[in-house]
Amino acid sequence: MNDATADKSGSESAIDPRLLEILVCPVTKTVLEYDRANQELISRAAKLAYPIRNGIPIMLAEEARRLED
Amino acid sequence: MNRNSTDSASGETHFGYSQIPYEEKQGLVDGVFKRVASRYDLMNDLMSGGLHRLWKDALIERLAPPRARAGYRLLDVAGGTGDIVLRFLKTTQAGEAVLCDINPAMVEAGRDRFAGESRVRFSIGNAESLPFPDRHFDAYTIAFGIRNVPRLDLALSEAFRVLKPGGHFLCLEFSQVEVPGLDRLYDAFSFNIIPALGKAVAGDRESYQYLVESIRRFPDQASFARKIAAAGFERVDYRNLTGGIAAIHSGWRI
Repeated sequence: MNDATADKSGSESAIDPRLLEILVCPVTKTVLEYDRANQELISRAAKLAYPIRNGIPIMLAEEARRLED
Repeated sequence: MNRNSTDSASGETHFGYSQIPYEEKQGLVDGVFKRVASRYDLMNDLMSGGLHRLWKDALIERLAPPRARAGYRLLDVAGGTGDIVLRFLKTTQAGEAVLCDINPAMVEAGRDRFAGESRVRFSIGNAESLPFPDRHFDAYTIAFGIRNVPRLDLALSEAFRVLKPGGHFLCLEFSQVEVPGLDRLYDAFSFNIIPALGKAVAGDRESYQYLVESIRRFPDQASFARKIAAAGFERVDYRNLTGGIAAIHSGWRI
């Protein structure tokens, strides 16, 4: 679904860094990794990558990309 | 999408007056708000005769955030187009807010109202499984949102989880009219006029029919207060607004 080759971040729509500090995985409540190039928040524990669209994180498991092992 | 009722006895919730499985409700509710997002604020004014503004003012008055305490954190769930957060930011000079809503269309519709405001952050999230850490917020508000959550008990326990000890839970929601006479008038208005307004203004009778039905299906003041207490909150109380057309429920994480 997601195109890993394009950098989807844009300066006007960058995610707020203070929001990044507090967000956790809604499924496991554990820390997230910020993938700036792909504009995703990755939960290793849940094996899910949550998309960031227009600077707004979409923290819904059903909208997340499932990570392969 | 199937709006008809299903027969299985468990795992069901209601969508307006239709019985549906839990998993289906969220999709249906999402559809309603996606369709009404651009006209949502106008419709609120028409539906409530502007009263929703006073009710939201009353919610912030009850919250009474400290005017100058740096680091005071509000989480506004189902924050939609930002009516609660805007009022909060006007009331406090130092407080910060996170606006969380399950529907990106609603958040996008309201985002411009916060241009140049650095004390608010936006996140898409589900009230039943919030993307925030334990014991993080000083206050949790939800205005005209909890009615749309399929599993109330989950939303309440998540609210409890993300609040700090000493944190305040406040919920503004349509409720059950407790004034004789007003209830019949209100019935006539809501079942006849609101869907018609929805059709005229937002081009969507069905969505507004859902809103009306969902209000009637929501637990009454005392039942909802018991659910809040069951989630762990203490000093739970409620106050009726406009004869119970809406109510503010309050609880504390001690």
